[in-house]
Amino acid sequence: MSTESVAGWQGCQAPFRGQGSRRIYVFGNEHLAEDFLARKVAEHLGDVTIVNCRSPDELLDAPDETIIILDVVKGADKVIILDDVTQLRTRSPVSMHDFDLGYFLNLMKGLGMEKKIYIIGIPQAGDPKVIAEEVGRCIKKA
Amino acid sequence: MLRNITLNHITKIEGHAKLDLAIDNGKVTTCHLSATEGARYFEGLVKNRKFYEAHEMTSRICGICSCGHVVAAVQAIEDALGFQPSAQTFRLRELLTLGERIRSHATHLYFLALPDYLGYESALAMAPTYKAELMKALGLMKIGNAIVKLLGARDLHPVSATPGGWLHLPSTGELRAVAKELEKAKKDAIATCSLFASLTHPDFDSPSEWFSLKHESEYAMLRGDFHSPRVVFECHKLHDFVREYHEDYSTANFVVVKGGRQYMLGALPRLNNNASQLSKDAKAMVKKVRLRLPSSNPYHQNLAQAIELIHAIDHAHDICSALEVTDEKPPKLSPKAGHGIAAVEVPRGTLWHEYTLDADGMITYANIITPTAQNLLSMQEDIKRVLPSILGKKKEDIVMDVEKLIRAYDPCFSCSAHFLEVNWDEH
Repeated sequence: MSTESVAGWQGCQAPFRGQGSRRIYVFGNEHLAEDFLARKVAEHLGDVTIVNCRSPDELLDAPDETIIILDVVKGADKVIILDDVTQLRTRSPVSMHDFDLGYFLNLMKGLGMEKKIYIIGIPQAGDPKVIAEEVGRCIKKA
Repeated sequence: MLRNITLNHITKIEGHAKLDLAIDNGKVTTCHLSATEGARYFEGLVKNRKFYEAHEMTSRICGICSCGHVVAAVQAIEDALGFQPSAQTFRLRELLTLGERIRSHATHLYFLALPDYLGYESALAMAPTYKAELMKALGLMKIGNAIVKLLGARDLHPVSATPGGWLHLPSTGELRAVAKELEKAKKDAIATCSLFASLTHPDFDSPSEWFSLKHESEYAMLRGDFHSPRVVFECHKLHDFVREYHEDYSTANFVVVKGGRQYMLGALPRLNNNASQLSKDAKAMVKKVRLRLPSSNPYHQNLAQAIELIHAIDHAHDICSALEVTDEKPPKLSPKAGHGIAAVEVPRGTLWHEYTLDADGMITYANIITPTAQNLLSMQEDIKRVLPSILGKKKEDIVMDVEKLIRAYDPCFSCSAHFLEVNWDEH
């Protein structure tokens, strides 16, 4: 497993140093206890390349035909896999602060960016190693 | 007949605002626009902190304008310490601010303002029909983001600018690579202007005086005097010409200039005051779209933002294609007692940061005046002015018209301390 922050102006087109066969796009705020578990779980995933995303618009440049996203889901009590972005609750942005992951994924769909998107959602709390095992199984299915 | 209208949530703006209206026999008797955000206490938070912490803390006031807050705080602290930054440091601060402006204008124009004009609830609803336009928006936002990331080491809340200089510098090669991308983005900025020029902007004249920074040698962004067509104020004399006051119905302060006059900030006032200093292509676009300057119509703010996109791309390109980056380390600044003020043109207008330091370099006083606070009275009075002409409309249409007017100012209420629910009583 290798980790690559999406840095530099190229966004997700930045070269990846990973040896892993698949890229996993990880979201979460490392400064918020209720939002950083995906990053912790990602540290325990094997044979994948981790792309730590800071902003959902970074996905617009993702070169992969299949995009696998790892993020925490508020209220989830187990690992879930979502393959239909329209299931994500979105609201019309009332301000520039509202462009969240759900909004961007639906915008990509609306714009005809036909990529297969899987969102692996994990609970906000739990043992990262244990959750990583389940996430690993989800990645194989995706 | 008395009608009371309360608009508790005004949509597609930054933060939370509320509008209370009372109309008696077709006459507006009450019009209170208020920011209803909780108080943010940033000025108190930086008190008793070291001078080099101000920019990191105040950048958190807003993600959208975080670069502007960083640059304003850094420049105000340098002013207090009597430090003059190098030419390279200044140029890179300009570039950081330009990146933020490109990103902010593109986002506001396409995702918040355009749906109003095209009759859509949101850009998401527009996507299937206006794919090409939204792809342009995303491309412009991307290049803005790229500049901010390159300079600030992250896309929001930059961490590399510091009093004295930069903790991390881009390489000359990285700047040249961005210059090439800016060349590609230019056509999208031009198309944005043509699109917004093709829209029908309501006729309206605001009595507000328009203010912006003005500088003798450049389209002012990080330096200059505070200027309107009637008066020029030196930024250091802020308290001689700007007065903040509180209204019980708002958590954000209102601001007036000397004499109690309302004033307007943002892209349109900048164009009104500084159009002759726009880039060549931006100037040509002003002519092409037949924008008559000066304009006192706040609805022209959107077109002005589109023109500023061209200028910002040209200006950023000039910097990225010419600057040879030298390895300057920021000097160690010695603490000393002092007082400093900085004014910076951010996307929504002139942002003020003011600090007083003691001999140990501790901040003993801080004052931050955001563009939205300064525009608040102008927005409120413009609503009051426009209402009589739209009172015959349906409730929903009145709300839409009022929101459209407010959105033209591109306000950010979260900085000043969602948008329009109507409680409507008729008697």
